[in-house]
Amino acid sequence: MPQTIIDIYLPRQAKVEQIVVENSHISTFILAFSDKQYNDTFRYQPGQFMMVSMPHCGEAPISISSTPTRTGTIHLSVRKAGKLTNGMHGLRVGDTIGLRGPYGRPFPMRQLTDRDLLFVAGGIGLAPLRAVINNCLDQRDQFGAITVLYGSRTPSDIAFQDDLTLWKKQGVDCRLTVDVAEAGWDGAVGLVTSLMDDLTTEPSQSTSLICGPPLMFRAVLGRLTSIGFVDEHILTTMERHMKCGVGICRHCHMDGKLACVDGPVFSLAELRKLTIMELAE
Amino acid sequence: MPHATAMADTHLLKKDHLKGFLRKLAKEYRLVAPVRNRHGDVLFTVIDDLDSAEIELVEPPQNSLKQFFLPQQERLYTYTISPEGYDFRPAQTSIPPTVYFGVHPCDLYAMLYMDVVFSRQQRDSFYLRRRQGSVLIGINCNTPSPNCFCNATGSGPFLEMGSDLQLTDLGDRFLVEIGRAPGHSLVKRWEGFFTPSTDKDRAAHYQTFLEARGRFSRQVHVEQAIRQLEAGTVPDEVFAELSLRCQDCGGCAYLCPTCTCFTISDQQLDANSGQRLRSWDACTFAGFTGMAGGHNPVQAKTGAIRQRFTHKLRDDVRLNGRPSCVGCGRCVSICFGGTDIVRFVERACQGSI
Repeated sequence: MPQTIIDIYLPRQAKVEQIVVENSHISTFILAFSDKQYNDTFRYQPGQFMMVSMPHCGEAPISISSTPTRTGTIHLSVRKAGKLTNGMHGLRVGDTIGLRGPYGRPFPMRQLTDRDLLFVAGGIGLAPLRAVINNCLDQRDQFGAITVLYGSRTPSDIAFQDDLTLWKKQGVDCRLTVDVAEAGWDGAVGLVTSLMDDLTTEPSQSTSLICGPPLMFRAVLGRLTSIGFVDEHILTTMERHMKCGVGICRHCHMDGKLACVDGPVFSLAELRKLTIMELAE
Repeated sequence: MPHATAMADTHLLKKDHLKGFLRKLAKEYRLVAPVRNRHGDVLFTVIDDLDSAEIELVEPPQNSLKQFFLPQQERLYTYTISPEGYDFRPAQTSIPPTVYFGVHPCDLYAMLYMDVVFSRQQRDSFYLRRRQGSVLIGINCNTPSPNCFCNATGSGPFLEMGSDLQLTDLGDRFLVEIGRAPGHSLVKRWEGFFTPSTDKDRAAHYQTFLEARGRFSRQVHVEQAIRQLEAGTVPDEVFAELSLRCQDCGGCAYLCPTCTCFTISDQQLDANSGQRLRSWDACTFAGFTGMAGGHNPVQAKTGAIRQRFTHKLRDDVRLNGRPSCVGCGRCVSICFGGTDIVRFVERACQGSI
């Protein structure tokens, strides 16, 4: 007898409960599945992503920026990049989108236990790390010192300001830098690596989690390696074009690995075995 | 090495009885077989009228079975946008139980590969719905065609396992080997068409296999190319040269029985409704890996060509223990740029000398 097979591509409806405008091109959409029972039992892990459907726009993978320690809603922080994400920026509270997931290999939270954590992000790259940071803060006694280095283009591009303020209050060492200063900015100017000059992080007790554009990524890797971080303790999450999200369509291929199922989270040790653009000279 | 001796459970089907057997099958199943059309093309075709169909079991069909399980384009959902929400409804398609008859070993191996692709990570309901009601009746290749090299990919000319029934042409009769359970049921159900096979028939089968093995006109060193890719010793110039000649037509991927990459896109029907489609895609297309905003993590062309051959000959060997090129030679016949997999294997091996 033919067995019933679950339809893996079917999106579920989710309602926009709240929208937080992070800057002129990034907003955080706070969502809940319309099916209340499903919403109540929905679980995910930091680093995983959702396939988002927008009317007439198809689907795109968006990493979850909320922590699983706070159930009931999912946060998707989205930068305007293409048709679908621009469409999302036209959403209003009460609108419905389609969601399926969660997908992908998450950050290895257990391996982070008791370690000092050095988060390094650029622009929208803070979104997936925000999931980890808030998770760690919700289970504060399980993790060591937390440092967040965050680079933005200009001071008005600094996203997640509410989070940064909260994190500082909770004892997180948050350091910001911008590429180009504006009037009234008295903070650091320059690459995010410039924030690492007076770090007191002890590499043997620390894990670094990085997410940002390739140029930043390579610069940060060089710096971390030079101060003694080993590849196994440098983690990142990769961004790729995806269609299925479940390891079949192969749009997210990375030299034999697939970002959707083998990642999106990888250690640098794993990435070094691959020929990928992010690590090209 | 494909098997040399016939499977234990074998029968005979006289050629005179083939149409009768197929007629019985056609009453209960949709029948798909390689048919020569009035233009002379051999294509796997749904047979409505068995009497007028010219079934061709020697010349390899131009298409594979891929389109029957992963259509070139299929509707996954229709969606509507209303004040109540944004609702997706699965496309309702009924897939009749189908017998695929006269499947060459290369295409049968391709089916087994697709079974893995569509159920390894997650079970793809759209593929598996079509696969569940299918019966595969294979035919061994006594006379490989000029572009065939299944002997080099371990997928022919005779099939080792995987079909429900496996036929070998012994002149006036077919030796019928029983593979999987559905094949056993077919023979049992219509046992009147079959007679017991003798040692002489099985000896003839072995002799036919030996002769078929000697009839390949190409020597393609697939194993050597696999080793080169695994060792990382294929020079970059090989990929650069091949990518220069690739015309980005996608013909290789569309014809390939194991190219299963797809894209999913929405087609708007009106302001408040549309359909979600799944279509064949090709990793050689520049847009395959391009992301929103224009960034592409794969160096266009050279990186794409590298992906095509590396996936088939290195990554799938790592995963499945065998390449996903089945040596059918279709890309060799379709590629006008000379960037088919045989050309790659030749260039990769030359580069090492």
